[in-house]
Amino acid sequence: MRLRYKILSGFLLIVAMLIVAGSFSIIEFSKISKSVEDLLDNNYRSIEASKNLLEALEREDSGVLLLLHGNWNEGRKVIEYGDSLFKKSLYIVENNITEKNEESYIDSIKRRYKKYKTIWEKPIVGTYKEENINWYYRETHTVFLEVKKAVKNLMDLNQESMYQESTKLKEKAKRAIMPGIVAIISAFIFLFLFNYFISHYFISPIEKLTEELENFPQNKENLETKIDSKDEMNRLKKAIENVINKVRRRI
Amino acid sequence: MRRAIIFRQLGLIVLFNSLFLLISTVISGILHETSFMPLLYSTLISIIFGIFPLVFVEKTENIQNKEGILIVVSGWIISCLFGMLPFVLWGGEFSLINAWFESVSGFTTTGSSILTEIESLPKGLLFWRSATHWIGGIGIILFALLIFPKSGSSRHTLIRSELSELSKQSFRTKTTNILKIILFVYAGLTLLETICLLLAGMSVFDAITHSFATIATGGFSPKNDSIAHFNSVAVEIIIMVFMVLSGMHFGLHYATLTRRKRNLFTSSIVRYYLLFLLIGIILVTLKLHMSEFGEWGKSLRYASFQVISLGTTTGFATIDTAAWPAFAQIILIYFSVQCACIGSTSGGLKFDRILMLFKSIKKQIQVFLHPQAIIVKRLDKMKITNEMEQFFLTFTILYVLVILLSTIINSFFGMDLMTSFSASVATIGNVGPGFGEVSSLGNFANLPAVSKFVLTIVMLMGRLEIFSILSMFYLRSWK
Repeated sequence: MRLRYKILSGFLLIVAMLIVAGSFSIIEFSKISKSVEDLLDNNYRSIEASKNLLEALEREDSGVLLLLHGNWNEGRKVIEYGDSLFKKSLYIVENNITEKNEESYIDSIKRRYKKYKTIWEKPIVGTYKEENINWYYRETHTVFLEVKKAVKNLMDLNQESMYQESTKLKEKAKRAIMPGIVAIISAFIFLFLFNYFISHYFISPIEKLTEELENFPQNKENLETKIDSKDEMNRLKKAIENVINKVRRRI
Repeated sequence: MRRAIIFRQLGLIVLFNSLFLLISTVISGILHETSFMPLLYSTLISIIFGIFPLVFVEKTENIQNKEGILIVVSGWIISCLFGMLPFVLWGGEFSLINAWFESVSGFTTTGSSILTEIESLPKGLLFWRSATHWIGGIGIILFALLIFPKSGSSRHTLIRSELSELSKQSFRTKTTNILKIILFVYAGLTLLETICLLLAGMSVFDAITHSFATIATGGFSPKNDSIAHFNSVAVEIIIMVFMVLSGMHFGLHYATLTRRKRNLFTSSIVRYYLLFLLIGIILVTLKLHMSEFGEWGKSLRYASFQVISLGTTTGFATIDTAAWPAFAQIILIYFSVQCACIGSTSGGLKFDRILMLFKSIKKQIQVFLHPQAIIVKRLDKMKITNEMEQFFLTFTILYVLVILLSTIINSFFGMDLMTSFSASVATIGNVGPGFGEVSSLGNFANLPAVSKFVLTIVMLMGRLEIFSILSMFYLRSWK
């Protein structure tokens, strides 16, 4: 193989290694980016909506307590706000089903909420329920806690999934970094090898040939420099030997 | 020392590894696995590093002995380094030290593993894991030697390292022929076992990977519970037969097939080897019958598999031997030290040498009784010389010293005595499982990182028969 191609192949191989490492890292990083998007789209949205569901339930509970105290206007206002927030958040959750069995969790919330709603939809102010704290604890609060628990279950499901996804992300990040590290180490070793070959096959023979040529008038023997390769260096040595022979014949 | 030539031969070895990496990549690609990119990248890196020296260094017809030894040792280490690449890149349970451990364990055909969830690994990666056994089993060096240019002295050196001096003498065939014979028998046995396991009901993937591990006497199984996973007597019998066959001199298999005079049936070493295994099986069966199972069939089934598995340095498991009685464990530890025959892919002290030891003891007793007598002992018609006895003695002392040193180091890092001792015995013998924490169905995952590294050095020492590794410390005096 010609010298030019040998050196060129060395550089090409380094470039190939870096391209492969780069592409590998790019692919892995784009996978990470996709996973982050999925994480935000899928789980985080549901978790946020679940938080709003809890907030809505708390509001409704406060509204019920206000009604219990006889504050009809204020109580209804707070309850309606809570109900509206609950419906909005439930809509988000219903349209963002990403986990296995998530639908059954939502059905459970809906079922329990329906039961809870029937309690506060019926009149409270002006009935036996007004100022009746026992009624509140016996009927309203128990159902309220049940709905809250169902919402928390949904939130836990998404949080658990988010945790698992983040563990996978960690793994993907490691997978994206490793080729870079391997490429850097490989490039060092490769450069060391490249340097050795250049020195062994090109620099060293040139130095030896130069030294021999400098001592040529004193040296009556043929050139002693050994060249293992069959490239231009070998041709150079043969050409020098030819020149030496011609010069000797003339002398 | 001509470094350029060494680089060229190492390049060939790396290229050979890349062939199996490529197959693993294809498997991963077809199955759309997460290991596809790590395997692809490892393949490309290996090809680049393999080709590079070939571009610069011309073929050479003559490799010196010292260069041969260096090629053998560094070839093994480099294979282990390239072998760990897919593991490190894939991640999971593979930290840097774990990937190195798994790779060394694979190439040295030890079969000790750091994996706790083997079945969760992608198939491509599992194939590569088994392939390291197969490559290591035959000796990557031996393979590279077949494609090396014909060189006189180097081949002898390489064969001495791979097959040991005794095997070179015990099988009187030309060196080149030995290499071809081993390749032929090795590939043939792998194919035959794969077919048998397929007939016994294994899937193609399981049959190939288990055959790779059996013929190489490695022990990596793609199943968490090793062979116990299949709970099949047929599978166990097939694997046992091939483990025993893999524990015999591969040249003798060829001699038997070609109906030569000196074959498996006429070799006294083989006879004694089988006899020793039989005695071991009987003793363990008796003990298990008395104190474990109470059923002859069950006792025989588990005893025979475990004795053969450890006695051939394979390391497959059908049961957790950690709970077995001490007597049975001692017998198994003995077989982990004795191991199988020279000229096979097994590691350890080797049965031929143990037999030689017994003959030497007998000779010494005879010399003691008859001081004037000239007593000649033979091993399969080969005269046991004083030089051979001396070599064996030195080797045994070194072997024991390495076990002791490894046990001491591992104990220092918090391992209990049984675990550190049996792990040392199992790794230097390239057996795989030990006792205690590292028992047959256990693994090496929980060992300290330093211990894992020490054990990999011990594995390499065992595979390269100690002297080759030790000679690396005298590199300066080689010049």
